[in-house]
Amino acid sequence: MKPIAFQESASKKIYDSYIKRIKRTTSTLPKEDRNEVLLEFNSHIYEGMQRNSDPSEVDAILAILQKLGEPEDVLKPLIAKKKLLQATRTFNPLHIAKALVLNIANGVSYVFFAFLYILLFGFGYIIVEKIRRPEEVGLFFVDGQFETLGTMGDYPRDGRIMEVLGNWFIPVMVLVTVALFVLITLLLRMKQRFIK
Amino acid sequence: MNESFVHKWKSQVKKGTLAFIVLNVLKGNEFYGYELIEEVKKYTAIEIAEGTLYPLMNRLKKEELVTSKWVEQTSGIPRKYYSLTASGTKTLKEMSAYWEELEISIKKITK
Repeated sequence: MKPIAFQESASKKIYDSYIKRIKRTTSTLPKEDRNEVLLEFNSHIYEGMQRNSDPSEVDAILAILQKLGEPEDVLKPLIAKKKLLQATRTFNPLHIAKALVLNIANGVSYVFFAFLYILLFGFGYIIVEKIRRPEEVGLFFVDGQFETLGTMGDYPRDGRIMEVLGNWFIPVMVLVTVALFVLITLLLRMKQRFIK
Repeated sequence: MNESFVHKWKSQVKKGTLAFIVLNVLKGNEFYGYELIEEVKKYTAIEIAEGTLYPLMNRLKKEELVTSKWVEQTSGIPRKYYSLTASGTKTLKEMSAYWEELEISIKKITK
């Protein structure tokens, strides 16, 4: 992007700070999209300055930027959608988490997805706990009935309470986590296809 | 009169019709961003931030209703020109037909 030249340092400062805010707002987007947004806003500001009749350059740039709006607000829809698209394309969990946070305001269904996602971290946590306290964490059955998946503090080892997965606990949990993650991503992808 | 209700309603209507307005402005024309916003402003007072038009253009592009191309300028700051695609023209016709229907019913009901 070719920066716009200004006569006064004050107007240049205002312009630079606005550009910086655009860059910060779009920092999570792929490079190509970031550049596109930047070029487009830069062009808008430049064309606005060309048409300016205000003798004060500072007033002119302020007026243009004020009419354009706050980058954080104006660019929100773009960021949320793009992020979601990128997230489901790459299977990157960090991207998906960010996309969900950005999209929560866009509908109840994203709250559901966020819930599934938090569940995902629950499984991750349980695996860590199993490593820390192998005796107390597991899939427990009491008298042959499912009791809990998680921790069972100090329980009497009288054979009534059984941990059923044993050494299989971690592999099974890893499998469940991965399956849930793939499911969330595929559901998100489907949702996007049907509701554009 | 409930002023705030009317105000909210107006801004909802405007938001809802912005895409329709933009597509109409682009009918038979090719405009770059700033110019497009100026054209839109000729017909309607958009009270929303002008910058919101860019994400909208992005959406219209993704829906393949408009297409865009960057054109280099001697200033070194290129312009992005937007125009309707064939599908955009067809879609706009469909939208206009619906708008006319709506207009007729509104006229009837407000009589």
